[in-house]
Amino acid sequence: MRLFKKAGNTVQILSFPGEETEKGGYLIIEDKKAEKAMIAQVVDIQFANVPGIMEELLRSPAAEDSVLGEDIDPLNVVSHILYIQDARLLICKIYGTIVNGDLVLENSWLPSRTYSTIRKLLTESLLKLAGIGKGLPIELGLTQESSRFTIDARELDGKLNIITGKKGTGKSHLSKLLVTGLIQHGATVVVLDLNGEYTNLGLTAEGAQNEFHKRVHILSPSRNFKVALYQTDLYVIMRILTYALNLPGTSAREFKHIWRFLEEKGMLTLHELGEAIKRWQCNQHVKDAMFSRYYAMVHSNFFTDNMADAVDFETLLRKTESNGGGAIILDLSDTSPGDRQIVVECVLAKIQATLSQWKIKAVFLFAEEAHLYLRETYWDDIVTRMRHLGVFATFITNQPNTINENIYRQADNIFLLNFVNEHDLEIVSRAARVDAETTISVVRDLPPHYCLVLGKVVKDFPIVVRVKPLNVMAMGQTRHFFAETMSR
Amino acid sequence: MSGVHNEELTSLKHQTVSTFLTPLRPVRDGTPIIGIDVSSVRIGETDNGVIYAVRGTIVRKKEQRYRYVRLGPFPFHITEENKGEILIHLGQRFSRAMSLGTLTLVEAQSHLCNLVERWTQMSIAFSESDSVILWDGSLTAGTPGNTVSAVSQILQVAERNSNSILAFSKATTVRFFGLRITDLIAKNEPPCLFELDGLPLSISKTVHLLGRICVTKLTAGGCSFRLDIDRNLPREQGVEAVERLLGNESLFQGYPESLRLAHIYSTFTANDIIGIRRYLAQEYGLEIVRRLNMHRTLFGPYGTGFED
Repeated sequence: MRLFKKAGNTVQILSFPGEETEKGGYLIIEDKKAEKAMIAQVVDIQFANVPGIMEELLRSPAAEDSVLGEDIDPLNVVSHILYIQDARLLICKIYGTIVNGDLVLENSWLPSRTYSTIRKLLTESLLKLAGIGKGLPIELGLTQESSRFTIDARELDGKLNIITGKKGTGKSHLSKLLVTGLIQHGATVVVLDLNGEYTNLGLTAEGAQNEFHKRVHILSPSRNFKVALYQTDLYVIMRILTYALNLPGTSAREFKHIWRFLEEKGMLTLHELGEAIKRWQCNQHVKDAMFSRYYAMVHSNFFTDNMADAVDFETLLRKTESNGGGAIILDLSDTSPGDRQIVVECVLAKIQATLSQWKIKAVFLFAEEAHLYLRETYWDDIVTRMRHLGVFATFITNQPNTINENIYRQADNIFLLNFVNEHDLEIVSRAARVDAETTISVVRDLPPHYCLVLGKVVKDFPIVVRVKPLNVMAMGQTRHFFAETMSR
Repeated sequence: MSGVHNEELTSLKHQTVSTFLTPLRPVRDGTPIIGIDVSSVRIGETDNGVIYAVRGTIVRKKEQRYRYVRLGPFPFHITEENKGEILIHLGQRFSRAMSLGTLTLVEAQSHLCNLVERWTQMSIAFSESDSVILWDGSLTAGTPGNTVSAVSQILQVAERNSNSILAFSKATTVRFFGLRITDLIAKNEPPCLFELDGLPLSISKTVHLLGRICVTKLTAGGCSFRLDIDRNLPREQGVEAVERLLGNESLFQGYPESLRLAHIYSTFTANDIIGIRRYLAQEYGLEIVRRLNMHRTLFGPYGTGFED
C-alpha cells in the first residue's frame, strides 16, 4: 500500500491486489523517520484512476464478443498490466496518531510518501491501544477480524444513545444485548416495548428460563399493570390530563380543586372522582371537558380502585435496584395509541418523581419507536432535565427522521445498522459524533446484524461489529402469511 | 494561358483515372483475411539507455468470426553498447549507408518495430495459405529496418503458399501531377481500384517499390486508401485478391476490420506502460529516471520540440 494524497482529515491510499482491506477496517501509516504513526479508517474502496484504463477495457473482448483471442506473452508482462488495472484507491479518515506508543488526537502532520509503511491495524489492537471495552464489559459480538468486541457499560451510564437501522437489520436484537448487559452489571432498565418484543427476555430460545428470568418484570397495562389513584401524585395525574389527554388550562385548574378536595377527605378513588366531577359547581363546558377525560381514564382500564390489582411502580423500581438490577418491560403491544400515551406519561412521571427524591440511583430507559407515544416537549426534557435526574435514554427506531434533531446532536453513542435510503443516511449523518462521509459510505454496505458503533463507547473510533446471537426467545420477527406454505 | 493549361491538366487527370480505373465485384468465397500490425512505445529512460516495448497483433477473419493473437509486449533496454547486438540478433543488416555507429537510440525504436513486424509478417506468410494478408503501410523497401531482401523474401514465401499480400496506407505523400493520389478517385463510384503503376508519381528514388501502387475506395461514404499489391502477382490475381477482400471482410469507413482490430490490439495504452515499468522494476530492478526536459525548462509553454 502506498500513501497517495492527504486533504484535511482524509487520506487516499493506493492498494494492490492481495492487499485485502474492508470498508470500516483500520490502517496504520507508520513514518519511521518522523517516529509517528497515523491511524486511519477505510471508509470507501474505489478503483484507482489508472491512465488508459478506459481504452484497455474497451478493447478487451467480453465473453459474448465475436472477437476472441489469446496473448502470447512469454515474459508474463500482462500479469503486471492486469495488476495495475486492479489497483484500488482507499479513502480513509484519520482518527489519531501514535507518538511514543501513546494515542493522541492529532491529524495535522503529513507522513512521508516515500518512507511510510502502511499495514492493516487489527481492531483488537486498536481497542487495546485506545482502551476500549475495559471496565464493565458488555459483549456485543465480533469485529471484522472475528475478535471479541466488548464495550464498557460505564460509557452508557449518564449517556444518551440511539440505535437505528432499516427494518430487519437487528435493532431490537442489539438493544436486548445492551439491556441484558446492563442488567448483568446491576443496572435498572425500563423498556417501553411497543411490539412486545422484550416479553420473552427471561426465556431461552427453547423456552426455558434463562439467567435473567428472575430479573425481568413484564408489565402489561390494563392486565397486570394498573395503578390506584391514591398512590398517584397530583402532578402525575395533571401530566396525564394535560399532555396525554389535552385538558385545557381552565378545566385543569378545576380538576386540581376536585383532586385536593378528595385527597383531604381520603376519598381518592376512581368512583369518587367521577361522582365529584358530577356534583362540582362549575361551568358546564369545563365539567364536560373533565368528564370526557375522566371517561378516557376509566376506559383505559389502567386505573383501578382495587388495591389488590394495583402495582406500586415506585416500589418495583426500588426493589429492582436493591436486588442487583433488572429490567421492567412495559408491554405496550395491546394498548391503543391513546392509552399508550396515558401509560407512558404516568410511568415517566413516576420514574422522575422516584429519582428526584433519590429513592433510586438511575434508570436506563429503552424506548422503541418513541415518536408513537412521546409528546413533542419530551425530547428536550430527556436530553436536559431528565438526564440530570438519572434517566439515561436509548432510542430505537427504523425511521431516523422521527427522532428530534437535538437528540442526534447530543447523542453520546450511536449504533447504526444498515440503511440504504439517502434521506435516512443524511439524517443520521447529522449526529455530532459522526463523520458524515464515514456514516454514509460504511452504513450503506453493512450486512444484516452488522453494526457501526460510534461515540464514547468506542472512544470515537467508529467500529464495525457483527452482533452476536442472544440466547433469548425471539419475538420481534415479522409474521408471514405464506410461511406455512413455504415450509411445506 | 495558365488557365488553359490547368483545364488541360484536369481533363488529362480525368481521362487517366477513367482509363486505369477498375470497378470491383465482391467475391464471397470464404477466403480467410488476416491483418497484421505492430506497435512500439518508449517506456522511459534509464541511467544508460532507453527502454522500448514492441507488441504485434495478428487478427484473422474466418467464417464470420475474428480471432486475434497478440505477441508480447516485449520490452527492450537499448543502450549505446548493446544496440548493435540486439538489432543484429533480430535480423538487422547494416549497410555502408546505414551504419551502426550513426544509429541513434531514437532510430533504434523504429528499427525494432520494423524488425518485429517483418518477423511477424514472415511467420504468417509461412504458416498460412490461400489467404489475403493485410499489412499496415506500403510494400516499399530500402528504408531503415526494411531491406529489399527481407521484404522480397516475405513476398516470395507468401506467394509460394498462395497468399496474396495487400498493404493499406492510412496516409500517403505520393502525388500525381501535384494531386494527392487518394483524392483522384474521390468522385468515383465505389468499389473501385485505380492502378497507378507506370504513371509519373512523386516518389523518392532511394525507395524500392515491391508492390504496384493503387488507390482504392471500397465503400460508399468511406475513405480512399493507397493500396500496394505484391508486384510478383499477376495483375488479374492482384485485382481478384482485392475483390476477395471486398467479399469476405467487414469494412469500417472503407478500411478492413481485421487491420483496424490489429492496430487497436497492438497499440500501447498508458496502463500498459505502467504495467511494463512495474515488470521491469520487479524483474530487473530497472528504474525509470526523469530527465530534465530542456525544451520545457528553457522555453516554457513554447518548448514543444521533441525531447530525446
